[in-house]
Amino acid sequence: MEPMNQVEILIVEDNPHDAEMALRALKKNNVSNQVLVVNDGEEALDFVFARGKFAGREKKFRPKIILLDLKLPKIDGLQVLKEIKSNPETKIIPVIMLTSSKEETDMVRSYQLGVNSYIVKPVDFSKFVEAVRDLGFYWLLLNQQPR
Amino acid sequence: MCSCSRFLLLVLLVLSTALQGFANLNGSADPAGTSTDTILLASEPDYPPYCLLDENNQPIGFAVELFRASAEAVGLDVNIQVGPWLAIKKYLAEGKVDALPIVGRTPEREPIYDFTVPYLTLHGAIFVRKDHPGIHSLADLKNKKVFVMGGDNAEEFVRREKVSDFIYTTTTFDEAFQKLAIGEADAVITQWVIGLKLIDRLKLKNVVPLDVQLPGFRIEFCFAVQEGNEALLSRLNEGLSIVMANGTFNDLHHKWFGPVIKERISTADKVRVALWVFVPLLLVMFLLWIVFLRKEVKRRTRHLEEEVVRHKNTWEELQQQQSLLKEKEAEIRLLLNSTAEGIYGVDHSGNCTFMNQSALQALGYAGEQEVIGRNMHDLIHHTHPDGRKFHRDDCRVYQALHEGEGTHVDDEVFWRSDHTSFQVEYFSYPIRQGDDILGTVVTFWDITERKRAESELRALKDSLEEQVNERTAQLEEQIRKLNKSQQALLYMVEDLNEVTLELKEERRKLEQSNQELDAFSYSVSHDLRSPLRAINGYSEFLLEDYAEQLDEEGKRFLTVIRENANKMDRLITDMLNLSRISRTDVRVSAINMTKLAGSVFEEIATETEKRDFELVVEELPEVQGDYNLLKQVWQNLIANALKYSSKSVVRKIEIGANESDSEVVYFVKDHGAGFDPRYKDKLFGVFQRLHSDDDFAGTGVGLAIIQRIVHRHGGRVWAEGEVNQGATFWFALPGK
Repeated sequence: MEPMNQVEILIVEDNPHDAEMALRALKKNNVSNQVLVVNDGEEALDFVFARGKFAGREKKFRPKIILLDLKLPKIDGLQVLKEIKSNPETKIIPVIMLTSSKEETDMVRSYQLGVNSYIVKPVDFSKFVEAVRDLGFYWLLLNQQPR
Repeated sequence: MCSCSRFLLLVLLVLSTALQGFANLNGSADPAGTSTDTILLASEPDYPPYCLLDENNQPIGFAVELFRASAEAVGLDVNIQVGPWLAIKKYLAEGKVDALPIVGRTPEREPIYDFTVPYLTLHGAIFVRKDHPGIHSLADLKNKKVFVMGGDNAEEFVRREKVSDFIYTTTTFDEAFQKLAIGEADAVITQWVIGLKLIDRLKLKNVVPLDVQLPGFRIEFCFAVQEGNEALLSRLNEGLSIVMANGTFNDLHHKWFGPVIKERISTADKVRVALWVFVPLLLVMFLLWIVFLRKEVKRRTRHLEEEVVRHKNTWEELQQQQSLLKEKEAEIRLLLNSTAEGIYGVDHSGNCTFMNQSALQALGYAGEQEVIGRNMHDLIHHTHPDGRKFHRDDCRVYQALHEGEGTHVDDEVFWRSDHTSFQVEYFSYPIRQGDDILGTVVTFWDITERKRAESELRALKDSLEEQVNERTAQLEEQIRKLNKSQQALLYMVEDLNEVTLELKEERRKLEQSNQELDAFSYSVSHDLRSPLRAINGYSEFLLEDYAEQLDEEGKRFLTVIRENANKMDRLITDMLNLSRISRTDVRVSAINMTKLAGSVFEEIATETEKRDFELVVEELPEVQGDYNLLKQVWQNLIANALKYSSKSVVRKIEIGANESDSEVVYFVKDHGAGFDPRYKDKLFGVFQRLHSDDDFAGTGVGLAIIQRIVHRHGGRVWAEGEVNQGATFWFALPGK
């Protein structure tokens, strides 16, 4: 099978260190699903809508969850969220926002656009691991998406 | 007596005929008495013995036959028409017939007919039933039903004298007498002779004449022609005088009034009768005459007495009216004399007719007698104020007299008796009687005072105007100055506007930098945290993945790295917090501070702290403020109290408040580490700490946040404390 079709977790993160920490957090929680990291909003949307460099991907294979950083090059996180949630085919994909702060306007805006959950990336890594466990598991394991 | 009156009549007739003839000679061209004419006479059927009908319904009677004879004597043929009195009377008035043979000459008829000289005088009488004892005189008829023939002179008499309230008329006297006989009438009035004839003819046994004279009903009878028919009248007069002179009159009289006596009685009988009948009769008549005279004297006396009474009444009335007039005059005089205005009257020549007291006083006269009859213009109005002579012709008092209209004058003077004058205002009104003007009434008063007051007022007004002008000028000067100041103000306002614009610009810049600060905060929170996360995360990876290769010192270094990264994160968080407080709006609502403080303690204290600490919260006044911000105040203060008491023996936190007019002061008091009061002003500075991190961890931002929140509410904060003696933090918020 085309590896891109097997992606279950999509991480959108421009900071490679944060991406690495996210992967490590998943790993520490024994999450072994196929993970893909993209570096900006454009790539994220290309993947979701199977276009650009992800044109060969079959659109019907949707990721189980998207971890989306708020601040991204090219197309920022809120715009990516908006496009995913305004398309009937993709809006069922759970999107969890990853952000550095609890800045109120960002949270309010994200919920208005239909975000499913929210994780503030703590400076203390162990707390990040706890947050990923609390939220990521729920969406990956308990939440059965309609196929 | 009888022949005497007849002689007189004759004389009159001759005279009147002569006069008529003379009149005709003078004015009329008609040759009266020469031509043979036919005239139409109207007679009556039942006025015996003057006018009646014989068995063949031919008109006969004394009057009819006398008329025929008289007419015949002057060559007039007579046709006779018969009708009831009312009808024939009307015919003559309308000219349908030429003459009537017997018409009583009464005042009512004078304008309708012309009459010949009278040939007969008849006295009226009252006829009553024998069994009617209540009627003895004319006065007794007042309430009785009195009948007369309609249009007869008797009717005219009863109506003229108002004999009764119930007067009835019949067409003929027959009818009236029959009604009397059967009791429908109480009395009938007609000529004595005619009544007796009718009684005889109608054979009425129960009707008699009353023995009473009717002075107002003595009628002279004549022939009548239409009013103005003088030709016929003169001819009839002439005929009448002829038949009287030639004996025809006497023959007819004998025929109708005395034939029986004349034929039957002889001369001897006459003497006997004279002796046996006339002497006693004369005696009786004499007695009756005396009785009548006495009655008449009584009646006259009564009448005179009534007259006297009436005259007396009239006299009294006149007296009363006179005294009334006097009273009125006195009243008018009083009225005149009680008015303040001078009033006098002049007649048509301008001479005084009256003058009231005020006028006398004003003009300086002691009494009316000094002025009555004198020419008022010459007396008081002779000279103008400037000494020129005032001609009567120019006097406006007389305008009322000459033009019949009232005049009003207020710019002249009247002269007093002492040759001084005064300014006067007067009205002059004409006195009228019908269309004539009898004189005028002048009403005047002295207006010297008024004129003086007027001139004073005028002077006052002039001086006021002057003052007003002065003041106006002053005001204008002030206004000019004010205008100058206004100009200066305008320049200042312009300057101010410029300053405002500058300030606006500054504000815009400030807003811009605020936005920039927001962006900066955002990037601080986002971008500064990423490296911290990496430092912290990778230190942990190192500890986890390479633990065996690091000695204890190496591991401690990594831990220090991680702790500092975490502290940096807290500093960033607090700093963002502080800046957010400055930027967010204050949303005011009523806050129950007792409840809020208690809940904050419950929220932030750990289980251990809740167990160890004694919390005393007084009842706190409610306040107006931002809930979230004030909650943060309590959070920071209570957290501080808990933190700085953590090493103390006494673990007690007291929360209370004082209220004044202008503000509510809340405090949180602990018994912890306290502080050096020398530095109490530095406590609220950002990143200012009085304790080391080793003693009490902290960023130095908490109190700065409190101060900023309280300042944003318009309040103030301060603290008191001593080292190891605990601290009390106060914050005051504006009251109601």
